[in-house]
Amino acid sequence: MTWVEFSYLIPIIPFIAFLIVAFFGNKMKEGGAPVTIAAVASTFVLSVLVLFDVYQNGSYETSMNWIGGTGLEVGIFIDNLTALMLIVVTFVSLMVSIYSLGYMHDDPCKRRYYAEIALFVGSMLGLILANNFLLMFIFWELVGVCSYLLIGFWYQKPAAASAAKKAFLVTRIGDVLFLTGIAMLYVKFGTLNFVELEHLMGHDVQGLLLPALLLFAGAVGKSAQFPLHVWLPNAMEGPTTVSALIHAATMVKAGIYLVARSYFILEHVPDAFLIIAIIGGITALMAATMALVQYDIKGVLAYSTISQLGYMMLALGAGAHAFGYTAGMFHLMNHAFFKALLFLAAGSVIHAVGSNDMRKMGGLHKHMKITSITMLIGSLSIAGFPFMSGFFSKDEVLSSVWHAAADNNIYYVLYAMGVITAFLTAFYMFRLWYMTFSGEQRDKSYHPHESPKTMTIPLMLLAILAAGAGFSFFFGFQDFIYFGHAPHVTIVHMFEMWQTWLSIAAGLGGIGLATLVYYKGSISPSVFTAGPGRRAVRHMLEMKYWMDEVYMAIAEKGVYGFSLLMDKFDRKVVDGAINGISSGGIGLGHASNEFDKGVIDGTVNGLSKASFKGGKLLWNLQSGRVQDYASVMILGVCGLIVLMMLTGVI
Amino acid sequence: MNYLILLPQMILVAIAMLIPAIDLYGKDKARILPYLASGALGISLLFLAIFTGIIPLEIFDITIPTSLFGGMLVIDRFALFLQLLFGTVTLFVVMASSTYIKKNERNQGEYYSLLLIATVGMMVVAMANDLITLFIGLEIASISSYALAGFRKNDKKSAEAAMKYFIIGALSSSIVLYGISLFYGLTGTTDLAQFGTALSNLNSGQDGLLAMATIFLIAGFSFKVAAAPFHMWAPDVYQGAPTTITTFLAAGSKKMGFAALFKVFLFGLISFKADWAIAFGVMAALTMTIGNLAALKQQDLKRMLAYSSIAQAGYIMMALAVATQYALGGALFHILTHAFMKTGAFIIVAMLSVMLIGSRVEDLRGLRIKSPITAFCMAIMMLSLAGIPPLAGFASKFVLFSSAIDAGGWLIWLAVIAVINSAISLYYYARVLKEMYVLPTGKNKPIRMKEPLAMLIPIVLATAAVIIIGLYPAPFVDAAMDAARALIP
Repeated sequence: MTWVEFSYLIPIIPFIAFLIVAFFGNKMKEGGAPVTIAAVASTFVLSVLVLFDVYQNGSYETSMNWIGGTGLEVGIFIDNLTALMLIVVTFVSLMVSIYSLGYMHDDPCKRRYYAEIALFVGSMLGLILANNFLLMFIFWELVGVCSYLLIGFWYQKPAAASAAKKAFLVTRIGDVLFLTGIAMLYVKFGTLNFVELEHLMGHDVQGLLLPALLLFAGAVGKSAQFPLHVWLPNAMEGPTTVSALIHAATMVKAGIYLVARSYFILEHVPDAFLIIAIIGGITALMAATMALVQYDIKGVLAYSTISQLGYMMLALGAGAHAFGYTAGMFHLMNHAFFKALLFLAAGSVIHAVGSNDMRKMGGLHKHMKITSITMLIGSLSIAGFPFMSGFFSKDEVLSSVWHAAADNNIYYVLYAMGVITAFLTAFYMFRLWYMTFSGEQRDKSYHPHESPKTMTIPLMLLAILAAGAGFSFFFGFQDFIYFGHAPHVTIVHMFEMWQTWLSIAAGLGGIGLATLVYYKGSISPSVFTAGPGRRAVRHMLEMKYWMDEVYMAIAEKGVYGFSLLMDKFDRKVVDGAINGISSGGIGLGHASNEFDKGVIDGTVNGLSKASFKGGKLLWNLQSGRVQDYASVMILGVCGLIVLMMLTGVI
Repeated sequence: MNYLILLPQMILVAIAMLIPAIDLYGKDKARILPYLASGALGISLLFLAIFTGIIPLEIFDITIPTSLFGGMLVIDRFALFLQLLFGTVTLFVVMASSTYIKKNERNQGEYYSLLLIATVGMMVVAMANDLITLFIGLEIASISSYALAGFRKNDKKSAEAAMKYFIIGALSSSIVLYGISLFYGLTGTTDLAQFGTALSNLNSGQDGLLAMATIFLIAGFSFKVAAAPFHMWAPDVYQGAPTTITTFLAAGSKKMGFAALFKVFLFGLISFKADWAIAFGVMAALTMTIGNLAALKQQDLKRMLAYSSIAQAGYIMMALAVATQYALGGALFHILTHAFMKTGAFIIVAMLSVMLIGSRVEDLRGLRIKSPITAFCMAIMMLSLAGIPPLAGFASKFVLFSSAIDAGGWLIWLAVIAVINSAISLYYYARVLKEMYVLPTGKNKPIRMKEPLAMLIPIVLATAAVIIIGLYPAPFVDAAMDAARALIP
């Protein structure tokens, strides 16, 4: 007996928790929080056991027939990638749900919150464990629905309601393309099972570019990549814990996972790798620039997530032989830890301040030491400060891109974009930290206080991982998560490369500049807006490159215009046709009425009235008069005779 | 003893005879009768479950298939599958009736007795292997249900519904009978098993007569399944009849019509498939389209569900156009899932009228507060009828539609029409969800109400069935495919 045989419980436990909390949460403590936390905790324990099993025995698959005779199946596939994702997702979810005890303590709708969190986690785990694309897609959609519910958790706020809709609609674009890709794969190979597909892939690799890109399009939507990134910044309208979950574990990582999972397809289409890398590079740089001008503490983090997701895509796009797969997944893991930490710390700050606006903060270090220090660790990590986890993974990402450049020069440009992004990331993260915690409190209308233990303990645990998880790369990670053959990188080797020193310089440079501007004050922030050119750049960043406006214009002019056209068509053509048919019907009804008037007279008219009212469409024939019905039946028999004559039977 | 295989029917008949006697002489009979009827159905179902092997007890020395009365009745997997279904539907209806039919209503003995008799008639159709037994079963079920539709004879709508149902039913029976007589005249036999060989010896001049006979059978049976253009009685009757009887008609009696169609066409006349497949294809397309378009505008829940069930009949009818074993299995599977969905939905409507909530679509507003569990069950039923995964309706539609696509040719277009229709139907099913969950409840705050338990049980059971079949359809599909194999080897 091995633990992987119980892996089907991993998604089922949160689903059961969802049902229990949804139906009985109001009768429980904290709206059912203990049930959700216990469920997530047990999935975490199971995931750890599964990881050990997989480490020893290799991958595992089980499945059963879902709909007989169609080849569609429900099953679980666990390999090293799955095991890693399980650990990351369950651990971060556990931290977030424990933290929620404090953060959501005063919310009146706790039951709904914990029920939806359980469903969210369960869906994400199902997505990871699925052994075929269709099942994966089903959970993929469930994740989408849950994100809609949770982003719009405070649906009384118009901003939250519209953010939820935006997230749902924008990701839907990717989903439709993803589904199309799945359909193409099914038509081509007749199966959607990963293992079977991988096997078939060896024989027939023609025409794979389009399906591969369609799968990637799904990831672009889900993982908020350019040009479908616009939903993620708005998604922070939900509770901060939800943002942490979406950004660190459950939602946006699904897209990265999809690309990693599809590597066995992508490796046959090198062009797809290039496109993935380019999209990732653009996303990373663009989002980093937009983060520079945010005053909303969660806004900065949201753009930073987009930027870091771009990093992961960039690494995955570097290809297998450049170890992009390992680098991307390594960054995914580290990002999960430090981004969960940053969001939860930001939540702690918001909890104390009662606002997201960094201009009202400042000087909070005195009042909330734990939050301040853990957030500093998170910031150092994401900024790539040497020996923090973010430093190692970022360096692996950049070095894989550099390796890929040996085959294609475009990767040199992407490498440069990555280095600039690293500099910007360090700058905006320390701008955030200094504006929040250092100096004097700018708005004195509130009295900050440290958050309760249920919130600070997850912070500390995450901080330990955000700082130290990077070393795992040299102790097992690179031999566990790889595609093709494993990289063999040593710390010593790392520091022999000039690229490593360049990325250290970028990170320290960003931190240094932020220190000069926002801590020492030796450079005034107004430098960035001096002169019309700089103001224009700043305005462009504040307007987020006008992407939202462009989409609005497309939606309004294009889609709305199209629907107006359809409406006209509907009214002119369809209604006309229906009116025509119904007047024909009336004529027929009259004729048959004349024909057998008085045969069965005087049945009660109650129903005829009802059916007259009910059937205004083309149902004037549905007169309620039984003689009409009988005539229609006879007409039907005649119709059948005519049909048979037409088809030549008679 | 071979005849033991008729035990399920014998029990039903015996209790159906006993019930009127108790109604005359018994005390507190309004309470006893539903128990008696459901007890009879329960035991009958138990035997059926033993016969099929669902309950692995080998206490009867019975082989499947068994042929009785010189081949007039054949009890095979097909018959057992449908008998189980009919029995379950009637059991749900009886349970709901115990509350829906009020204690002081008259003629309760007849009500339960006729329900059981009608069920036996439906079971006979499922077993019939001869046009004569088929017709007898059909008439047993039909005549009982005419009376049931008019059970509340002081309710004008109920009386009108029964009258209409009877007149149109009599017309269609005469059409069927005429068709049967033509077949007998052509072949000299009514045995479905011998049709293939008997008809292949026809003179070429008799082709037209054969086609006419076929048309009459199609038309007559299509009345039972309410396929367009023989559907027009259905909305009126479904709306006027007592809602429990509507449940019975939509979930049980209609399926009997399909049983008859499958027996005659997919078993007896399968070798002439080329002659009649196209007719069923056209009718299927027509039926689903008319049903769905008409349902769009309905304000009355019963009427909307009536049209929805016409549309569903259109989907099932696709199997007759495709006429393969796989398609028949899909149709039987859809018959199973649709029986649960419609039973659940109609009993919910019956319960709403018992709870004095009303049966218009907008009366559902605030149901999520008045009765959350009912609202949830209704939502599941609507989603499943619309074919949303992972519910039963999706799985069965999927098998049914993919059978048409597998067959290829013009049948792909039929599948396309069916898919478009499914999309249209989503609109009116979603309207129910919108009323229940989205629209604000208005000024008078709804209050939590108490549901009658005897109606809630079948509703919850049907909902559970819809979810379970949806999540894990494999054993049910296998059962349906086994049943299909009995007709089309």
